[in-house]
Amino acid sequence: MTDLRTIVKGIAGLKPVPRVVHKILAIQQDPDSSMDDLARVISHDATTTANLLKAANSALYGRTKPIESVQQAVVFLGMDEIVSLALMSNSSDNLKRPQEGYGLKTDDLWRNGIVSALVSQELCQKLALDNGHLVFTCALLKDIGKVVLEQHVAAFAKEISELVARGDHSFEEAEKQVIGIDHAELGAMTTQVWQFSEKMVDIIKYHHRPGESVLAPQETAIVHLSDTVCMMMGIGAGSDGLAYRFDQQLIESMGISDVDLQEIMAGIPEKLDDIESFIALS
Amino acid sequence: MKLIVGVADMKVSNDPNSELVTYSLGSCIGIAIYDAAARVGGMLHFMLPESGLDKDKARQKPFMFADTGIPRLFKAAYELGAAKSRLRVVVTGGSQVLDQQGFFNIGQRNQMAVQRIFDRNNVVVDFSDLGGNANRTLRLAIRGGQTGLKLSGRGEKFV
Repeated sequence: MTDLRTIVKGIAGLKPVPRVVHKILAIQQDPDSSMDDLARVISHDATTTANLLKAANSALYGRTKPIESVQQAVVFLGMDEIVSLALMSNSSDNLKRPQEGYGLKTDDLWRNGIVSALVSQELCQKLALDNGHLVFTCALLKDIGKVVLEQHVAAFAKEISELVARGDHSFEEAEKQVIGIDHAELGAMTTQVWQFSEKMVDIIKYHHRPGESVLAPQETAIVHLSDTVCMMMGIGAGSDGLAYRFDQQLIESMGISDVDLQEIMAGIPEKLDDIESFIALS
Repeated sequence: MKLIVGVADMKVSNDPNSELVTYSLGSCIGIAIYDAAARVGGMLHFMLPESGLDKDKARQKPFMFADTGIPRLFKAAYELGAAKSRLRVVVTGGSQVLDQQGFFNIGQRNQMAVQRIFDRNNVVVDFSDLGGNANRTLRLAIRGGQTGLKLSGRGEKFV
């Protein structure tokens, strides 16, 4: 086992989430805030403004007329979309890098995050959940722990894959057993350092074991399902493959059937080209 | 030339300089067929077992489903001169996330759909590598019909 303090120190090596993202999330969660507040915060940050406009005009949003200002974007796209776009624009730095320990090439983890986030957004709408933005962010960043853990996974690749091949360990359970910590736990620690809300930390920590979430069981289940969909479709797939557990009982208890699962999967291919052009831009 | 077969996609070729490849098969299934005499090959990457899920979608993207995709793969290869009796058939994919059961186990349902369609049409599978929880990449060289299979975390083997 590696000294956990050494592993945790790796969090400092990540590019931190910019302050503007925290401000955006605070506005989203404040019932007294307005669209103007949101536009003002974004306009004060040149990078976010540029990235937001680039994303809003990308094929992902399929607009025929160009969006030329943040104010225009806020009016046309609405608060939830703007928050999602601003978060996506600011999250790519850490996730775009190749993660060789997990067999992930450039953009793989980023692609997985985007598709998970879009799927989770759709699921929130389907279930009429209010916390769409929170789920979106968590789905996008759920594997941030992989960025910190990847070199340790590479160092113990043989031991981890042997445990998984035995059939009684998921990849995450094998990480925990061999290294002493798993990527979900480390992702939760990372978002804690970044001062994300307790709920968000909880969702990221339990995204492979949603039944254990105390603070946000439904939201965690949605991130869990969107991650499962990506694994099944091989989106941003690495050497860990599909070796994670699926909490079918919990998903079924939320009224989600296998037909729903298939319909969600069937909707993805038509979005993939737009997602690829968005990735090329980001 | 590399011809990439995307998700819910199919391609056939008789260009000896081409190679068909499909990446990241999870619960989806990849089928490669090859006629060595005609030097014709085809590859399908389908996602779901039955087009009954969404008839409109099946019309727009027939390669998404086993029952609409598989017949089209074979027909397209026949149109380039392949003969059913000479076809070498390789099937792979159909993985599952741990603890997926019953109807939620789409990987297994995809495998059963292939089996059903092949049984009904007397298609014999020459090589299959299905299930488990790995991702797979499948490639087929049109010149000699070499078929490569790569499982996540492992090297490529020729089958």
